[in-house]
Amino acid sequence: MSEERVLSPDIQFIKELRAVGGETVKKCYQCATCGVVCPMAGDERPFPRKEMIMGQLGLKDQLIVDPDIWYCHNCNDCSKYCPRGARPGDVLGALRAKSIQEFAIPKFMGQIVTNPKMTIVALAIPLVIFLVLLGLTGHLRIPEGEIVYSKFFPIPYIEILFMSLVGLAGIAYIVSLKRFWDGITAANGKNYIKRFDDALLETILEFLPHRKFTKCETNADRKNAHFLVFYGFVGLFITTLWITFYYYVFKIHSPIALSDPMKWFANISALSLLVGILMVISNRAKDKGVNSKTSSFDMTFIVIVLLLAITGILTELIRLMGIAGLAYPMYLIHLTFVFYTIVYFPYSKLAHMGYRALAITYAKMTGRDIE
Amino acid sequence: MAIAPDKTVLVIGGGISGITAALETAEAGTKAVIVERNPYLGGRVAQLYRYFPKLCPPYCGLELNFRRIKENPSISYYTMAEVEDISGSAGDFTVRVRQKARYVNEKCTACGACVEACPVERPNDFNFGMDTTKAIYLPHDLAFPMRYVVDSNHCKGKSCGKCVEACKYGAIDLDMQDKTVEIKAGAIVYATGWNPYDATRMDNLSFGRVKNVITNMMMERLSAQNGPTGGKIIRPSDGKEVQNIAFVQCAGSRDENHLNYCSAICCMASMKQATYIREKNPDSRVTIFYIDLRTPGKYEDFYRKVQADENIRFVKGKVAKIEEDPETGNVLVTAEDVANLKKITEEFEMVVLATGMEPQARSQGLPGNVNTEENGFIMADGLPSGIFATGVATRPLDVNTSNQDATAKAIKCLQTLVGGR
Repeated sequence: MSEERVLSPDIQFIKELRAVGGETVKKCYQCATCGVVCPMAGDERPFPRKEMIMGQLGLKDQLIVDPDIWYCHNCNDCSKYCPRGARPGDVLGALRAKSIQEFAIPKFMGQIVTNPKMTIVALAIPLVIFLVLLGLTGHLRIPEGEIVYSKFFPIPYIEILFMSLVGLAGIAYIVSLKRFWDGITAANGKNYIKRFDDALLETILEFLPHRKFTKCETNADRKNAHFLVFYGFVGLFITTLWITFYYYVFKIHSPIALSDPMKWFANISALSLLVGILMVISNRAKDKGVNSKTSSFDMTFIVIVLLLAITGILTELIRLMGIAGLAYPMYLIHLTFVFYTIVYFPYSKLAHMGYRALAITYAKMTGRDIE
Repeated sequence: MAIAPDKTVLVIGGGISGITAALETAEAGTKAVIVERNPYLGGRVAQLYRYFPKLCPPYCGLELNFRRIKENPSISYYTMAEVEDISGSAGDFTVRVRQKARYVNEKCTACGACVEACPVERPNDFNFGMDTTKAIYLPHDLAFPMRYVVDSNHCKGKSCGKCVEACKYGAIDLDMQDKTVEIKAGAIVYATGWNPYDATRMDNLSFGRVKNVITNMMMERLSAQNGPTGGKIIRPSDGKEVQNIAFVQCAGSRDENHLNYCSAICCMASMKQATYIREKNPDSRVTIFYIDLRTPGKYEDFYRKVQADENIRFVKGKVAKIEEDPETGNVLVTAEDVANLKKITEEFEMVVLATGMEPQARSQGLPGNVNTEENGFIMADGLPSGIFATGVATRPLDVNTSNQDATAKAIKCLQTLVGGR
């Protein structure tokens, strides 16, 4: 290398990276096994070896705009073959968390949600909001008679609260993604061979059947797990629209009969989410070193989704059993996890959706994508 | 203080470390007994073609040692023998040794008539299975003791008996039994050495699946005049003279999934082997894939010498994938060329895996009650008084350092015998 470059290590960044799941980064001794066994890394400037040394050096500015960290699908072949237990797959996951945290606005939200130590605070916020809202409106008690959740937490309250916050989150997400896009394109050049919209469409069509994920040969279960979780969420999103449609258009109010097609659809989606997330957990448990990662960004979200699915299913089951004293509190807990999942999505693991889509779109536009 | 002439040092293992420990103590006036598992002395060194860095033949030094053994009545040795039990304490150990039947007695003149008569073949473990011997065989051309041996796992026994008829000297006794002897010793030395790490365990390096992938110890045998090819470096699949070869460093070493330590010798060994092929096949090209090259101290000079050869190329990046081109039998090697930030796949006629040293305790266990650290190396701290360990049994070492270590441990034995400690 003839050109002279001054490296500016960011020691704080190294500490933060290690705190969100990249604690093994310093174990790497640059043997370069990882890039060879990685099914996603191409021949030119392969990853994740270079990210590992950049991480050790604390080169935050380069790393957060490195699109390569988003090509990684966490197959963890690299971690399996890593001779030093440096777990490049985990480190790249942590780098993605740091990238989300860096670009997400408002910044304090990113810091609350990406930092596993702040999870309690993140969960307490909606719970406090709910309790205050219900207390002020005189709903903070177990209603009499048949269990109907809207007697406890009226639908319009939920609609207004969630819609306004999700709207704000959506705006914040779009701005964050724009900042991310500007970052990676400024840092990595704009020699495009494809248009943005063509590349994005290609990315989405490739994603729907999880085609890239299929390359994770040694860890094929991961694809199925992600598939179920993703389509579980999609199904539940459709359910939400469906139920809103029933409520306002047909004036059909919850609880909706178990025989209703919407209920079928909703229950299948919920089960898909539950089975998918349990598979995610079992895949990670099979993977060595799971103990060292329980504090990580990914693990936090996995636990949240698991609790989201379990509390959702319990909310329905307890209602059917008619135990009002348990049903309403369970509903409140479930809403807390719903809040976490949808209001925090620009800052949580879910945010990876947009970041990864843009990074792969960028790869396609610059001809770096490998088929 | 003089050493009582009946004091004995028992050495477990007859490789270079064990031989040195036994010779140094015996030449200081004790008795020394070597217990060796193989049918010959010399251990791993006997399989080497050249030493680094001088590139002299190891057998030269071994023969000098064998002469010292033959000329010294204070040294005795058991081959095909293993220690079964150790009891007693410093100054007064009792060691039970089980010696397997060799089926060939001291009358053997190594004439070889038995081999011609023998109808059964066995894979030759001395050459890592790259050729075969008969069921009665000489371990290798310069074996010490120079005496044939019968592999009882393959010999058909007395129902065949053709070798017995062929032997004019009455040296073959197929009725020979294993025997157990008890040896009194004042001090004991573990010189149990190492085995090459099982290369099939690195699934991505394809040893055993891709024919033209061999190990560094196999490369020593391929290069040796008394090896399976008479010293010609030709590849296993088709016997073609190898002109384009790659060495894969750290094949299992420095890897927590395999050997969680640097084996210390493989960098020098691969560079040494690069000189073998450059000398034997003058147009050959060599590529050495490495993580970092470890040539400490004066070995750096050897590295410079090898580096100066234009046909030897060094690529920084560990090989993590090896495949076969089924058409040509060539080997496709993939690594990240770290200096150029590129994932490269290159084709070679043969690939040598620089496999590391696995201590005997880890591969097959050790007799007696010795503590080893997590990798199977014997720790000096955990040894009872009067028991010592030397050579690769204690840590990965080259021959030179093993000899220095063995001499140091010989002094420890003498101190024990003098003080009765």
